[in-house]
Amino acid sequence: MAQASAASAAPLSLDHARRAARHRREQWVTALLLTPGVGFLALFLIIPLAQVFLRSVGLAAVGQASRFTWGYYRQFWTEAQYRDGFFFSLWLGAASTAISLAIALVFSALMQIRFPGRLAMSVLYKIPLVVPSLVAAFLILSLIGPGGILARLVFHWGWSWPQLVYDRWGWGVILVLVWHNVPFMMVIISAVMASIPHDIVDAARNLGASPWAVFRDVTVPLSLSGISAATLLVFIQVFGAFAVPSLLESAYPLALPVIMQTEMMDRANWALASALGSVLTLASAAVLVLYYRLVQGRGEIVR
Amino acid sequence: MTRTAAFPSRAFPWLLAALFFGLAAIGLVVPLIVGLLWSLVNPRAGWFPPHLVPPSLSLANWRAMFSVPEMGDAAIASFTIAPIVTVLCAALALPTGYALGRRPVPFRRAIEFLVLAPIIMPGIVIATGLGSVFIRIGLEHTLPGVILVQTVVVLPFMIRIVTATFEAVPQDLIDAARNLGAGPLSVAGRVLIPLIVPGLFAGGVFTFIGSMEEFVLTFIVGSPDIRTLPVLLFAYLGGRSQIFTYAAVVTMVLLAPTILFLFLAERALKQEYLAAGLGKM
Repeated sequence: MAQASAASAAPLSLDHARRAARHRREQWVTALLLTPGVGFLALFLIIPLAQVFLRSVGLAAVGQASRFTWGYYRQFWTEAQYRDGFFFSLWLGAASTAISLAIALVFSALMQIRFPGRLAMSVLYKIPLVVPSLVAAFLILSLIGPGGILARLVFHWGWSWPQLVYDRWGWGVILVLVWHNVPFMMVIISAVMASIPHDIVDAARNLGASPWAVFRDVTVPLSLSGISAATLLVFIQVFGAFAVPSLLESAYPLALPVIMQTEMMDRANWALASALGSVLTLASAAVLVLYYRLVQGRGEIVR
Repeated sequence: MTRTAAFPSRAFPWLLAALFFGLAAIGLVVPLIVGLLWSLVNPRAGWFPPHLVPPSLSLANWRAMFSVPEMGDAAIASFTIAPIVTVLCAALALPTGYALGRRPVPFRRAIEFLVLAPIIMPGIVIATGLGSVFIRIGLEHTLPGVILVQTVVVLPFMIRIVTATFEAVPQDLIDAARNLGAGPLSVAGRVLIPLIVPGLFAGGVFTFIGSMEEFVLTFIVGSPDIRTLPVLLFAYLGGRSQIFTYAAVVTMVLLAPTILFLFLAERALKQEYLAAGLGKM
């Protein structure tokens, strides 16, 4: 409505003043409308995050003396358990993102082909999206755990089941996270793939490209916007995941979020937990910046 | 010739269907059946290796839902908190979504980034900050505290979905209503609100499920006094003694509403809402 009045107004100074007043009033209305949502997030997100950073350098403590120190960061880097936790979380993030991405890419491309029951499948595959990660952990545990149904099945045939959970490399954790994240990636990636015009794929096929070549050279490059967003989101989520690693990892190394929870709830060492949290945040932010750099470079190709 | 190469045989679509449904059976149906069986295990007989099916079934674990106080309390807590969080999110997101979707907003990029932040930030970091602040203001281990922390992490989905819905309302309809003499209130009540109801519904589903499933913030800010179903599930799965039977019951109670919602809302949860909620950065 602001545009409409602006278009009809004559260039008189009185009108100008009225228009300015109206503009100001509109801005106030906008600010008022934004307040509930944005204000809430500002209050309950920015203040706590500021608290985390202050706490990590020894300030803003409750019930004890505050003194500026880098000691908690030094502790993170010098004590092996914390450093190993950081790299273990990094490993979990990288491995489950790479595996999920490979699977999601192939499945998303296959979902573009017509096959019987595709509609039912397009609902079915989204179920893990609404399954809580703890439930996913339970379901996978009852499937592949030491006393799980698969272990019992292969025992009947006289084989032994490999240890997939509580292992050094966190394969059980990775399996649950992949199970959970493949559908998430598929939702984003297949939405982008569905918007690729059929003509382009048909043209490539007519020019003699094999299905694999079309997938590699046409479908994937044209879906890069969705692929990169999905990859980023999954990596950051897994990197900061607490519940699944906490349930399925071995005794050492522990994922960084698990260490943070122990420091907070068992040892009431909020300062160290805050320092570890800051490290987690900064590492995630670094990945985010890297992502925007990469996306900016590719933006023109992908439209 | 290319056609035949694209579909090596007439059987290809059927092979594809077999692949997908086979995977769904192994990855989805079998675990769900095993989970259901665990919830029906007779506690007197147990279900120990190498039995492939429980030797005897009973409803004893389901009755525990009512006889074991911690399970009943957690169910009540979950089903109380989720609707409150949903209504709170809708109330907070509606005006903000309208402003972001239909008005020129200053500092738009910064605001969008703030709205995106809780989605990408690790939950444990937000939990550390909120836990530490809530101890200071006395909100830790309280119901209002848990409601507030859950709202922080699910509100962004609601705002993004409501914003996308408001953006999609054609300006022509609003102009037409106004030209026909409708005031701002009746434009809002008879044009705008009916047009955004599907988006609001989708956002509500997202929020409700998000609240039901939220674990890490609830765990750190709420426990041990406020325990929702996921927190209880964590207790049954972790620790020294796993209680698979109770875990299975909690799993089923958690899954039923979410899967039901998914099917009910499949129409509302169109790709564009999902994309607005999750994708597009």
